[in-house]
Amino acid sequence: MTTDIRVPEDLWEGDTEGVITAWLVDDGAEVAQGDLVAEVMVEKAQYEIEAPISGRLGIAKPEDEVVAKGTVIATVDA
Amino acid sequence: MTIPPTADDTGWRLQRPTIDAGLALEEALLESICQGESRFGLVAWSPTDRALVMPRRHERVAGFPEARRALSERGWPIRFRATGGTPVPQSPAVVNVALALRCQVGSSAAHLEWGYHRLGDPWCAWLAALGVRDVDLGSAPGAYCDGRFNVRIGGRKLVGTAQRWRRVRGSRDMAMLAHGAMQVGDTPEALVAVVNAYQAAIGDPQRFAAGSHVALSQELPDLDPEAALPGLLERLVG
Repeated sequence: MTTDIRVPEDLWEGDTEGVITAWLVDDGAEVAQGDLVAEVMVEKAQYEIEAPISGRLGIAKPEDEVVAKGTVIATVDA
Repeated sequence: MTIPPTADDTGWRLQRPTIDAGLALEEALLESICQGESRFGLVAWSPTDRALVMPRRHERVAGFPEARRALSERGWPIRFRATGGTPVPQSPAVVNVALALRCQVGSSAAHLEWGYHRLGDPWCAWLAALGVRDVDLGSAPGAYCDGRFNVRIGGRKLVGTAQRWRRVRGSRDMAMLAHGAMQVGDTPEALVAVVNAYQAAIGDPQRFAAGSHVALSQELPDLDPEAALPGLLERLVG
């Protein structure tokens, strides 16, 4: 089963885009549900992104990539 | 985890840690919300040392090691912080206030705009009560680490603001840390020069303007910021 990791849609208003400022886990690494995997910055606010399930992380968007709300930035294969 | 001491029998007080210890205080404040130990926290601190403080991603900038060395030789070592934005100087001329809250996702109180107003609106009201005119939230073109929610006096940046959001353990709720850094002393020229020295050291042509900043001492030269600070903190408690 593959689960997407998305930039949250409900944490800021408007269409402002964010930037992936850090991947805290390597592509292909095993993660546990709730692990902090990435940070996204929007308007000087850093959001921490967690793994929604346990499994193998596949990074879809690299560091410094500009991302909109709802963008899939990674997947986790359980 | 122990909640950082932010109040005692005499009320809210300013702490004077090193920059590293002050940033650790803020992290502990946010973590206390994430662990479900509290729903609200507030800390005010002014550092005993000085440094140029920036998000860790700046470490990836070409020329960073040389810039770090150059700034250190000027007496401004580089430190990293957990909130967003770009490099800002920290020194005894800066007072930091961090507000941490537990927010329910999906409610009106779970947006960065709300967070900035939750920190910035009482700050503006406090300044107005001290007699400062033309205070509002907004951008200050030409200022370092500019954003849409600086506390401004006459369009000049007095307080830079930033946030960090983290999930509360075992909950859909989020913990928000909103941080403000207010220049209370020194001159804008002195602090802008530090940031511009970093810009030059990494080969970035962008320069910042002292005229886009203001220090509280310029507006209220007779004010004792430490004596006045409890008035701000009481407003932030809400």
